Amino acid sequence: MKTSADDLKKIRFFETYTDKQLDKIVSISSIKEYKVKEILFEQYDELSDLAVLLEGTLSLGISLAAEKRIHLGTIEEGQLFSWSAVFKPHISTAWIMAITPARVITINAKKLNDEFAKDCDFGFKTMSKIALTISQRLSDTRFQLMNQLTL
Amino acid sequence: MSHRNIYKPIRAKLTEVIDESPLIKTFVLIPAEEFSFKTGQFIELSVDGIGEAPFTPSSSPVITDKLEVTVMKTGYVTEYMHSLKPGAYMGIRGPYGRGYPVEKFFGKEVLILGGGCGLAPIRSLLYALEHIKDKLEKVILCYGSKTPSDCIYKPLFNRLNNIEKFEAYRTVDKADEEWNESVGVATTLLDKVKVNIENSVAVVCGPPIMMKFGTIRIIEMGYKDEQIYLSMEKNMSCGLGKCGHCMLGEFFVCKDGPVFTYNELKDTPDIWK
Repeated sequence: MKTSADDLKKIRFFETYTDKQLDKIVSISSIKEYKVKEILFEQYDELSDLAVLLEGTLSLGISLAAEKRIHLGTIEEGQLFSWSAVFKPHISTAWIMAITPARVITINAKKLNDEFAKDCDFGFKTMSKIALTISQRLSDTRFQLMNQLTL
Repeated sequence: MSHRNIYKPIRAKLTEVIDESPLIKTFVLIPAEEFSFKTGQFIELSVDGIGEAPFTPSSSPVITDKLEVTVMKTGYVTEYMHSLKPGAYMGIRGPYGRGYPVEKFFGKEVLILGGGCGLAPIRSLLYALEHIKDKLEKVILCYGSKTPSDCIYKPLFNRLNNIEKFEAYRTVDKADEEWNESVGVATTLLDKVKVNIENSVAVVCGPPIMMKFGTIRIIEMGYKDEQIYLSMEKNMSCGLGKCGHCMLGEFFVCKDGPVFTYNELKDTPDIWK
């Protein structure tokens, strides 16, 4: 399933991109739909696509054992995930599961990296968004840790 | 000149005790005389022979014949309060301090970040804002608690989401099987809200750790220091600025606060301690 640049403009994550950059994203991406409780990927899976949630809610967590899933947080509309696809070793640090029906745009990370080499502004914007996501997840984890330490 | 003894409490009859969570109860009190306060101001609530402690009322500041105070069981006085039944009498002194300057919120969007028992003063603020909603652009509440059972004022969220201009979101650090809302710390909710930051104020109230991380995230969103209001509840003490326990840098929280802008406090050491 395909999307359009106009559709992407409605999503906060894509607000700062130019029309040309949005067209580029559309050309290297696809839309995927997931049912409730469907696993998008497991922790330690090798990832090939950067993803942004368009509709629905996802659960993000880690596993202590195959049957022991720890739910750490939710991903809401407009939020980025699967950032490990962009960086070596491309291994997922968490699992993702749909907790409502979800629509996700998946962007081919290899082609995305190739586009960054051609358009530095595109690369800088995207890397800034990924860095912000990772920074906020780290900050939230510190917050959770301090909550636990001060119980 | 008033001749009222500032140390003498007003007698108030406890008419209802509401269990909010395993550690938190709301006490509904009928004061012996009319009692008014500005949202964000606090009172001293006492039990004869046991002691008193400072609390910010959780009820509407528009109502003067009934007062609701939400109390978390944390020590000797609050543990005794939790054992009280309707029909008991308590004492009220106050109101004290500087509350929320709601007049400065006119024409603006109000983003409120709360955690744990910090929703108590926020509920009073929400009632006050509901009363003046025609003068506001939007009110957004983001609230976090540790677990679903720790989430207080459960009916409040549905109610707020049915009021024009109001949006309410909540999250828990750890969900159970029945929880179908967000999971994660309170700050994660800030990612989903849409605010016009330039025409907005932010209010933060909750445990010190949440206030610290919440304030940092709100600054990262683009809010200026003077747009952020903090309620420094944990520093409240005698209510009069006499005992000195409320000192926070150059301020007496009991007199100068408990509501401050971050701009006023940012250079004060250890404000989150």
